[in-house]
Amino acid sequence: MFRHEPLILLMFTIGVAMAMGGIPPMIERKRRRSIENDLPAMLEALSDSMGAGLGLQQAMMSEADRNQGTLGKLLHETLRESHASSFDSALSNFATKTRSPQVQRVMHLMSTAVEQDAPLQSILSSLSIDYERLNDLMNRREKDLLGRGILIMMFVAVGLPLLIAFIVALFAPAASGFQLDDFNTSFTLFFGIGSLIAMAVSGRMLGRMRDALWWAPVWMAASMTLYHVGVLFIGG
Amino acid sequence: MRSLDESREILYVIRTLDVLLGSGVGLEAAIFSIAQGGYGVISSDFSNVMENINKGRPLESELRSLISKSESDGYRRVINTMLNNVTQNTDIIETLRRQGERMEEERTNKVKDYIEELGGVPETLLSIGMIGPIILSILGIAPQLMEGAEEIFGTMDQGMIMSIVNGGLILTLAGMALTGLKAHTKDPGL
Repeated sequence: MFRHEPLILLMFTIGVAMAMGGIPPMIERKRRRSIENDLPAMLEALSDSMGAGLGLQQAMMSEADRNQGTLGKLLHETLRESHASSFDSALSNFATKTRSPQVQRVMHLMSTAVEQDAPLQSILSSLSIDYERLNDLMNRREKDLLGRGILIMMFVAVGLPLLIAFIVALFAPAASGFQLDDFNTSFTLFFGIGSLIAMAVSGRMLGRMRDALWWAPVWMAASMTLYHVGVLFIGG
Repeated sequence: MRSLDESREILYVIRTLDVLLGSGVGLEAAIFSIAQGGYGVISSDFSNVMENINKGRPLESELRSLISKSESDGYRRVINTMLNNVTQNTDIIETLRRQGERMEEERTNKVKDYIEELGGVPETLLSIGMIGPIILSILGIAPQLMEGAEEIFGTMDQGMIMSIVNGGLILTLAGMALTGLKAHTKDPGL
């Protein structure tokens, strides 16, 4: 079936290999977003604790006990390590471990505020509000646009090749002697590139095009296969 | 691209300046702190400013040249506020706070607009991606469908028809890419 279509086979091989590279960014993103979604609550709790008269380190300890998520676990580790090093270096260590730009910014700002003797309680409170709004926006974008991104992929990479394969096979079935080798090669390539564009667009919509492009070859191969197999099955 | 980077980072820069200046740090020291990194293109701009200041150029002229270099409105406004503080000793903290609030509101509206504007992209992509190939696929098989009817329709050269089909498919792909470009150009920069 694919003897004369080395490009599809090549795309599948590249696709499977690249899909392996696409899984780690997905896992990492899930982990990072769970940390970032916990951040405003942590900042608010720290602000409250400081308002009650606790020091920053004590407030962080009580927050580490309360928070059961990844953020709490990392905070625990950090505070354990802070016995052996300075609190400031523990904070930056914590920021690095989260691998989240949001947390890194907050920690940098917190250590600057501590250094400058700034009013930490109000800073933490306003940071908590800022990041809550930011995360709400990010979650809303994700929620509203994920469906549209999937729709684009379904339309372009699945629906379109099947539709065109159906039309071509219906009007010019190979079983009736129609010679469409060049034609099919052009359309197979078109669906491959079309799927690449669709993947890039839906990835960009969600703000993670680079991560999405890992999956592009699989979708390209799937789309090209759907057209090729569709024409063969319907047209004979 | 620079404009997108600027609008992505400016709100964080405002918050940092607010904390630093609010706790009594001077403007130059605050610029130096941001120049250390973490704020993308703004950090590298501020780093250049600090380098030139260390060479003996005045902060005022550095801020003026930064205004002409900036591409986003928000960034330009922040540098303008800094410049006003240097030249007229204005209340920079209060102004930055107000700007921060306004920018946050703008960002929320931008995200809402972005989501709304991208609402029609799947349908547009499908329309472009469907109408073109359907017409082109019928055109591509036409020479063979019309075989034997040359007296009525005239002769059609399969090679020429395939060139038209290929050209049409390339145009369709370009149309799809241009439709999708909206997702990039209108990005709210979260």
